Amino acid sequence: MHYISKLTYYLVIILIILSINFFLPRAMPGDPLAYVLGENPDMPTRMTEEEREMRLAEYGLDKPLLEQYLNYMVGLSRGDLGCSIYYNTPVMDEILVRLKWTLLLTGTSTVIYMLLGIFLGAESAWARGKKKDTGSLITILTVSSFPTFFLGTLLAIFFAANLDLFPLGGARIIGASYANPFEKALDILHHLVLPAATLIIAHIGGTYLLMRNSMLSVLGADYILSARAKGLSERYIMNRHAIKNALLPVVTMAALTVQFMIIGTIFVEKVFAYPGVGNLLYDSVLRRDYPLLQGIFLFIAISVVIANFIADMTYLWLDPRVRDE
Amino acid sequence: MKKQKTVITLVFAALICSAACMAFSVTALAEEDNVAATDGDRIVRSVGGEVGTSDWRYPAPFTFYPRGPGYVRMSMLFDTLTWKDANGVVPALANGWRVSDDGKTWTFYLNKDARWHDGEQFTADDVKFTFDYMKDYEGEFTWFEAIDYVDNVEIVDDYTVIVSLNEPMASFLVDIAGNMPILPEHIWSSVSDPTKFTGDDAVIGTGPMKLVEYNSAEGFYHYEANYDYYNGKLIVDEFITMGVSNAAASLKNGDVDEATFWGSAVDAVNEFVDDDDFEIITGPSFWVLQIIFNCDADKGYPTNNVTFRRAIAYGIDREEIVEQKLHGGGVAANTGILHPDAIWYNPDCEGYAYNVAEANAILDSLGFTEKVDGIRQYPSGAERSGDLKFVLYTTGKYLREGELIQAQLEKIGIKIELTPSDWTTIDSYLRDAEFDMVISGHGGIANPQIMRIPDWPASTYQSEEYTSTFAEQEVTLDFDDRKELVNQLQEMVAEDLPVYTLYHPYIWCVYNPDVLDTWFYTRDGICIGIPIELNKLIFLARYGDANENGKINMQDVTVIERMIMELDEPTDMADANKDETINMLDVTCVELTILGRAPIRCE
Repeated sequence: MHYISKLTYYLVIILIILSINFFLPRAMPGDPLAYVLGENPDMPTRMTEEEREMRLAEYGLDKPLLEQYLNYMVGLSRGDLGCSIYYNTPVMDEILVRLKWTLLLTGTSTVIYMLLGIFLGAESAWARGKKKDTGSLITILTVSSFPTFFLGTLLAIFFAANLDLFPLGGARIIGASYANPFEKALDILHHLVLPAATLIIAHIGGTYLLMRNSMLSVLGADYILSARAKGLSERYIMNRHAIKNALLPVVTMAALTVQFMIIGTIFVEKVFAYPGVGNLLYDSVLRRDYPLLQGIFLFIAISVVIANFIADMTYLWLDPRVRDE
Repeated sequence: MKKQKTVITLVFAALICSAACMAFSVTALAEEDNVAATDGDRIVRSVGGEVGTSDWRYPAPFTFYPRGPGYVRMSMLFDTLTWKDANGVVPALANGWRVSDDGKTWTFYLNKDARWHDGEQFTADDVKFTFDYMKDYEGEFTWFEAIDYVDNVEIVDDYTVIVSLNEPMASFLVDIAGNMPILPEHIWSSVSDPTKFTGDDAVIGTGPMKLVEYNSAEGFYHYEANYDYYNGKLIVDEFITMGVSNAAASLKNGDVDEATFWGSAVDAVNEFVDDDDFEIITGPSFWVLQIIFNCDADKGYPTNNVTFRRAIAYGIDREEIVEQKLHGGGVAANTGILHPDAIWYNPDCEGYAYNVAEANAILDSLGFTEKVDGIRQYPSGAERSGDLKFVLYTTGKYLREGELIQAQLEKIGIKIELTPSDWTTIDSYLRDAEFDMVISGHGGIANPQIMRIPDWPASTYQSEEYTSTFAEQEVTLDFDDRKELVNQLQEMVAEDLPVYTLYHPYIWCVYNPDVLDTWFYTRDGICIGIPIELNKLIFLARYGDANENGKINMQDVTVIERMIMELDEPTDMADANKDETINMLDVTCVELTILGRAPIRCE
């Protein structure tokens, strides 16, 4: 029963999101054609009023908003996200071709910053008040509070421009010929280091703090005291009793991370010219590419809703108190 | 305890999921095809902008993004009847041409050696087919609209066509013959939806380059040489234009071999001036930044009054803006819009030298005499009241210019409210005439066609004289007559000030000469006025580079030049490219100088 009402709740949420996705981009002034006539240092296209109207009609943008909305919904129900106005190709294709880069970047950094955050948070709490704790607390909070684009630029200037250890940007050497797939993977990883490092540094603070706090409250619990009374070693208590219990809130965190997996990288992708979804989103806003914007938002929204749904269900299962409410 | 185990399992499941994503990505990415380049290939990498702005869509004739960089990427693959080099129009698919006295009949003699990338022979049929196809799908090819001028195309023999126009068209040789990509009939005759036609067949042209890969996500175009090219020998094996995050740093790191800078990027360019590894050429951007006034009779008070606009023109110190914003990377603009380096430039347009006294006198005479806190007030009974105050829109890029203008106009008692916005938004205000003033720029000012109203931004400007003069120059074939009319157009703009031009930035090409040394700026811009340096002729052994190594140096000197230069041992015959005929390709830099035609580049 509870599962069903939850499910209905999520369906309503998705419907609302779809509507917002549709109307929000269109509420911005301007239309997709203005971008053609933009200000770049090149030859502009000349377009008469009639041609302009003809183009808008081609994209169905001349119809009343309500009709456009209905068409969009009907298309969606068939799984059709429409065609991008700028690229003139299916929205799905444009997203998928970039999604793998974004997943590579966020996937790598998520694994590393979660593990590192959990480990450092636990260690820090265990050594609470000691030099080791204060030292890591101050360091991590300081570097993590830099905005990502600033941090990214710093890393790019230092490690790429000055030391030339890593590439300045991009996801691989374009036009390179590789002897084997391994060499290619190595090139991709080489390009991944700086953007991933930026994300890891920027996001580790959250996990670290959460783990540290959660660990602190666990350490005050009675069963830790009884574990100590049993004469168990400190390491054993930390690993087998404390960390396990302190990880609970991190589950929630993991669910919330899903949205970051796709969207949290706009600035990093911009700084490192990384060909991901974040970059695409940024450019699509400038281009007023309505279908593409809708598609990207939909992607993000649905993954967040699904992640929350899973987290909700997990909680029901984990914690009887939630189920009884 | 069981639950805690579950929690741990879940956390690790999440991490494993992430790791799986990562693994999936790596595998997916590693499996993608990559083209093996052979060692020793000459690869040239050029900056196409930032990632995101370096993508101009698929480079097929009907799918490229209809702006200069999009056209240029397509033009590597497809040739036109004529083309342009540093000095002006040169033959391409047409070896030569003739025009009838009435200017309505053009005969083109086609190149007999041209082949399509798939090996098929190029003939007159393809040319006729292209003209017919462009007419059938008018509006689908969004890059130009002049196909209306063409009445019909007649095939005389396999390599001669006659193009008949409905009326004379002064710019035919450039705007149509030098602009319209010729399509292979054997492919396009079965294509009924050209804007959706992509794939390998859609990029088969006659151009010097063939497409290897286009990648929209990473924003790069990868080309390889078409060694069978009819119009010269290829000196480059592969060419890549790609997005980078920072052009100057990428050049220095050697990630790219060439990059474009313009305007306020002068500081980045200056870093390369003393660097022996790089060379710099400066070109005209054919771009202008201007203030657009609202001249609309109903909505534009008081900027719809030409005298008022002149007061503002006198009140703006353009030299200060060039100095402060561009650090010398540009010049104060021609008030008649067209670029000083264009052949159509009129040097006699009113300059509106900075003159506060004159500006004040005009404003006083218009009745804006009363001042509150130094700001003039609207006269009583006017359409507006209170402070003489305007909203000035601009994109973030030109905020500094806006601030300078704000400070300057305050001195003559005009208050400016500077409002940054994005271009798409500003464009919608412009189209609805819902604005006072806008700072905005556009390119294409080598070609008088850009002055058509309302296609350029001053759409609120109404002048019958202007419109009729514009129409007349479009059909005037005699260069001097047409130039006179274009001069008048520029004077009208300078007099009436629907826009007040601020500056023309310079554009620079910074390159590594060890990789490629043939970069040049095209006379009046590529095609109909694209100011960038990506002219496909850079890939060819060109005049002056007799031994076709892409560099002009002593080894290119031929026997005639050696004699002239009084060197004892001639190393080569006059047939510098050793194709056993003596033709234009053998003509080198020194010879061109003697012939009175400036070479592209000379060391």
